Amino acid sequence: MKEKKFFMMIEVWVLALVMIVPSLAQEKKSEAQKKEFTALEILKKSDSVANAPKDQEIIMEMILIDKKGKQKKRGAKMLQKGSEKRMIKFLSPADVKGLAFLDLPNDMMYLYLPAFKKIRRIASHVKNTSFAGTDFTYDDMASINYADEWVPGLMESKKEIVSVSAEKEKELESKECEHYLLELKPKEGIKKDYSKLVMWVRKDNFYPARIEHYSREGKLWKIMERRKIVKEAKYWVSKETEMNDLKKEHKTKMLISEVKFDQGLKDELFSQRYLKRK
Amino acid sequence: MRKFMFFLVISGFLLSISRVSFAEVNLSGYVFTDNRLGLEEENNKFTRNDNRLALKLDSDISGAHFYSEIWLRGLGFPTVSQSSDLQEKSKEKISPWTIEFREAYIDFYKLFTNNLELRVGRQRIAWGTADKLNPTDNLNPDDLEDIMDFGRKLSTNSMKLTYYLGGYTFTGVCIPLFTPAVLPSSEWASALSSPISFPNGITLRNFTDSIILPEDNPQESSMFAVKMAGNLFNNDLSVSYFYGRDDLPLINKVEITPITSTTVDIRAEMIYPRMHVIGVDLAGAIGDIGVWTEGACFIPEKVKMETSTIGIGTQTSIALKEEVYFKYVSGWDYTFKNGLYINSQFLHGFIHERGKDNLEDYLMAGIEKKFFNDELKAKLNFGVEIKDWNEIEDNLATMIFPEVNYYPVDNTEIILGAYLIDGKDTTNFGKVKNNDEIYLKFKYSF
Repeated sequence: MKEKKFFMMIEVWVLALVMIVPSLAQEKKSEAQKKEFTALEILKKSDSVANAPKDQEIIMEMILIDKKGKQKKRGAKMLQKGSEKRMIKFLSPADVKGLAFLDLPNDMMYLYLPAFKKIRRIASHVKNTSFAGTDFTYDDMASINYADEWVPGLMESKKEIVSVSAEKEKELESKECEHYLLELKPKEGIKKDYSKLVMWVRKDNFYPARIEHYSREGKLWKIMERRKIVKEAKYWVSKETEMNDLKKEHKTKMLISEVKFDQGLKDELFSQRYLKRK
Repeated sequence: MRKFMFFLVISGFLLSISRVSFAEVNLSGYVFTDNRLGLEEENNKFTRNDNRLALKLDSDISGAHFYSEIWLRGLGFPTVSQSSDLQEKSKEKISPWTIEFREAYIDFYKLFTNNLELRVGRQRIAWGTADKLNPTDNLNPDDLEDIMDFGRKLSTNSMKLTYYLGGYTFTGVCIPLFTPAVLPSSEWASALSSPISFPNGITLRNFTDSIILPEDNPQESSMFAVKMAGNLFNNDLSVSYFYGRDDLPLINKVEITPITSTTVDIRAEMIYPRMHVIGVDLAGAIGDIGVWTEGACFIPEKVKMETSTIGIGTQTSIALKEEVYFKYVSGWDYTFKNGLYINSQFLHGFIHERGKDNLEDYLMAGIEKKFFNDELKAKLNFGVEIKDWNEIEDNLATMIFPEVNYYPVDNTEIILGAYLIDGKDTTNFGKVKNNDEIYLKFKYSF
């Protein structure tokens, strides 16, 4: 009898534990979600999530799609260390194969031109121009901490969601998640081609899922969407990024086929020495 | 025989790589055609017929890398003049073709230490930060076969050792054997050569020349260079030194034979003068504008000139003074918000110019814009040659090179353009003002 009572108590205790622990965890999570962050905190968190890996090596395919649906494809390999060093090497097609781009701190950018066997220093005037025919600019392709260059403001989420619907973007995967909406304006003294950005930052993981780029005239110009956001190893990564240029009616999809994190990439890899290496 | 050997080597090579593992060797290249038509009345004919298959092979071996490039070219026009030419098995007179061994080298990425690299073999070593016209780029001889293809060079057998230390790079180059430059075809050659002046009433009947190459020994033929590169206040800076030879020949002996009282024959002898070159180049930015500058201080060895006239005697003068001269180029580029790209350079001393008093000034500029999602690119390059700033009107040549590039699909490029030149006969480009051309080029990369 005593034994039966003892086992009943154990059962009740386990049941209670099973019921209470998740609700405690849920409560804790909700508290975290409820915590009010400032716009700058959200942006910094978002930067730290997007640039969280110590380093990354990515094999990707870029698909350039014009308004008639005609496609062109580019294969590329990207190496990134922290948020300040990035190298992109084109693997295909044949006419751009070997072309490589190196982005270093202090606006030091280099382009390797295999046909001339030469590395060309490129100045910041190219930052807002198309990168290898894609809808991404050199600036978009460079590693970036938004908090360094933009001043964020927290927007009314509901209002902005309505305005997005007006842009006929109805099939947003990111709709399934709650987002912070940040309005970013360039810091004083920093020249940008965009008058503002509207960044959608996921509330659950602070991943920047969507960035709307507005022209200097205030019109929506480009939309960058990050889809298939998954956790690989311990980092969040978007397996599909699309940049849609509404003016040109042209878009570029960037599909990641392979990603490796924290391999201990050395600083020397981000140098002219390795830029020209195959 | 040469061509047979080439096929044997290529076939053997392809066979060997296919037996080992084809995936380890990458084959790439391009097909390129270039046809030009003269526009001037006296030159209204096809002036160039170039069809090229470039084959590139490269492979990564552990810790090393192999690269080679070969051009198979159908270059020129049929030269058939008699029926027997049509029966030649080589068919060279019907459809002339050549093979060009462009490059073949191996990179050793770690030589004794991680920081030391060696590249050995036939290679192009491109120095200088300026755009195509580089006074510090003297390691490879100029390939002026197509004078409009500025900056094209021949590769040479050489060894390049590079040591990386922090942000600095130290390079040493040894080129055991001297290779002379390729000169432009006869229609364009006058742009690079000075006309011979004769006393009134004397005309040239026949001109012959002979070229004396340096002897094939290290003292005479070998060339050396060192370079140090780094970053200073956010600018890329390099300093270099080259000891070698000028790749363009210089006349050092002239023998004049009077044939009649009004005509002469001339026989000239040419050599390749020794020279030292100290170079500096810099690339950086002023605000958003990209800037670069590159200068080279040429220190030539003195070359005497012997002029002997049969029946009169021999005179000695100086063909090239042992006097330092300085070639330089400075430029900038910028991209406007609408995508318009501008590039401009000021050049003092063209490729072939030598001697302090013989350097001219050139202003080159180009604008470029892409349309239709980069499927179409329009370019307008133009240049001004100024021989003498004091009398510009009589010493000026202008060049305008419009070009349209169309990229219908990936890997394909169709180019339509023109070379339009005008100027005074005293200028280099003015001498070839009757060579205006339009061209159509196709390129497919694979």
